[in-house]
Amino acid sequence: MGRKRISMFLKIALVLTLLGLVAACNQTPSTENGESEGTTTKFEIALVTDVGTIDDKSFNQGSWEGVVEYAEEHGKTYKYYQPASDSKDDLLASIDLAIEGGAEIIICPGFNFEVAIYEAQNTYPDIYFVLLDGEPHTEDWETFETNENVKPILYAEHEAGFLAGYATVLDGHRNLGFMGGQAVPAVVRFGYGFVQGADYAAEILGLEDNAIEVNYNYTGKFEATPEAQTMASGWYSAGTDVIFACGGALGDSVMAAAEATEKYVVGVDVDQSSESETVITSATKNLTKSVYDSLTEFYNEEFAGGATLIVDAKSVGVGIPMETSKFENFTQEDYDAIYAKLVDEEIEILTDMDADSPAELSTARTKVIVIE
Amino acid sequence: MTGLDLLFFLFQQMMYFSMPLLIVALGGLFSERSGVVNIALEGIMVMGALAGVLFIFYMQNYTEFAGHLLLLAAVLVAGLAGLVYSLFHAYAAIHLKADQVISGTALNLASTPFAIFVGRLATTKVIGRTVQQIPFKNQFRIASVPLLGDLPLLGPMFFKNTYITSYLCLLLLIVSWVLLYKTRFGLRLRACGEHPQAADSVGINVYKMRYAGVLISGILGGIGGLVLVIPTSTNFNATVGGYGFLALAVLIFGQWNPLKVFAAAIFFGFMKTISASSSSVLFLAKLPISSEVYKMVPYIATLIVLIFSSQSSSAPQAAGQPYDQGER
Repeated sequence: MGRKRISMFLKIALVLTLLGLVAACNQTPSTENGESEGTTTKFEIALVTDVGTIDDKSFNQGSWEGVVEYAEEHGKTYKYYQPASDSKDDLLASIDLAIEGGAEIIICPGFNFEVAIYEAQNTYPDIYFVLLDGEPHTEDWETFETNENVKPILYAEHEAGFLAGYATVLDGHRNLGFMGGQAVPAVVRFGYGFVQGADYAAEILGLEDNAIEVNYNYTGKFEATPEAQTMASGWYSAGTDVIFACGGALGDSVMAAAEATEKYVVGVDVDQSSESETVITSATKNLTKSVYDSLTEFYNEEFAGGATLIVDAKSVGVGIPMETSKFENFTQEDYDAIYAKLVDEEIEILTDMDADSPAELSTARTKVIVIE
Repeated sequence: MTGLDLLFFLFQQMMYFSMPLLIVALGGLFSERSGVVNIALEGIMVMGALAGVLFIFYMQNYTEFAGHLLLLAAVLVAGLAGLVYSLFHAYAAIHLKADQVISGTALNLASTPFAIFVGRLATTKVIGRTVQQIPFKNQFRIASVPLLGDLPLLGPMFFKNTYITSYLCLLLLIVSWVLLYKTRFGLRLRACGEHPQAADSVGINVYKMRYAGVLISGILGGIGGLVLVIPTSTNFNATVGGYGFLALAVLIFGQWNPLKVFAAAIFFGFMKTISASSSSVLFLAKLPISSEVYKMVPYIATLIVLIFSSQSSSAPQAAGQPYDQGER
């Protein structure tokens, strides 16, 4: 009898612990999903996340910060939705959910949304969409169409990568590496730009052929893994000085390897200098500003939908943060000079549309070693 | 990289893979030897790493506590967290006689969301930004162990670019072996995994022994999670990347024997290192073998071992079967 009672007691204790866990997890800080305490149940500004979570320290977070900044300044309600997967149906389901929640404008970061928005723009003609990193098209890539209620934004990642590669070589480094997450268009553009920037610097410096070496690899995951750490350590030990870590959390692995071997890292998307001492610079695109500006347009009834906005050096939307960069030889004047050349379109940078592999970039002074 | 430097590099990197695998597989060994299949190792590793990294994170932000003592203290915290988490599994599997695979799976699935939640809470309060990754400063690397690091050959292989936890893991291997084969406790534990009815008939409390087995696996699994994360990242991102499951493969490959498990962990770690670093190893980069092949080798080897050992497998006879005293 006593034993049964103890057992029952333990069972109840276990259930209560588990429920307590769930309850604890439910107390999300109120600012996090933007619920202003009180009666509002409508969320006017919505963001549907890409693969990964809202606080990935790069892509989603950069976009989300734009939402938060605008909404807090202008007293708007806002909320983010995380789709179950990156399949079209799940993305559309999240968009439906956002609209049911009262969204007037929906921010969709990531090229994964291209097909979903192609459909949603017709289903919801009264809702406005901002699509970062992509343009709406059909599943077979045959038809591209952007309605008035959609504003696609593309970034010139190759220019950001170019600046980072150029600065790195001018600063004195010769053995470089590029580790991308997956070969998605944005990552490819970053990588191609990095290689060409390095080569351009070699030309300026008058280096001989194959003076620069770039190891080039896509790890396949936007994640920190022990394998990525080992690969980066291997490159560093074999003589690589700087690795451009281009894939969200992948950077953590590369930074760990750089810390152990006292080498350097180039960050991506946002200024990652605070992540590690080893980050000498970052190839950035200003997601936060794009989102903020789009929201401003929308609420001033000047929404520039219907056509793709290209954010590049001309609009000062890409670059490297010179204030936090740890260069020894590369100066602000050097940066301003090369930036001006990009703005004037004096340099032609090939992108993912022009070459299938970084080996095809015809960079005479740079030897690209593609690692499968 | 060629020659000796390469060898040294491979050995140093291998330790980062092999040591966590070894210690987590040893955890699985204790649990299965006592008769409880523990596939919750992955979740236990996540909880251990979470608690350990969180502890380091708070200490580094609020106190002067640093260095190897901090790492060892974090190891204790990680082990404790693993122990507490494994209690759920033990209670379900032993007391409630629940299906051990289901309870283990549930714990695995629950661990990552919980870690994300805790990570967000912790970072919001301390660094003012809400991120799920818990950052830590890695001050624990030992560039070279005094005296031993200067040894020819062995020095760079085992005593450079290392962590104090690597040696702790080896120590725990020895302790585990002694505990299992040289003590009364070990004999009883193994008996409960082979034939619990017989063990019970001579007065051994099967429930207690099984609790002990699962809780030890919780401690070792929790430590393993921390040991995996510290050398290979600068953040804990709520995952241990399937290493808990890999440790189960190591356990099977090592046929539930601590020394064979050690050999298996070294083998798995070595293949992992080769596959990840083949691009920087000259003679491997020239071979027409894709790095994916090296990634598959440990698993294919596990399958082959299973094929040959299935007839005479040394898996504990009663592993996975709930013990019911009433059925004796």
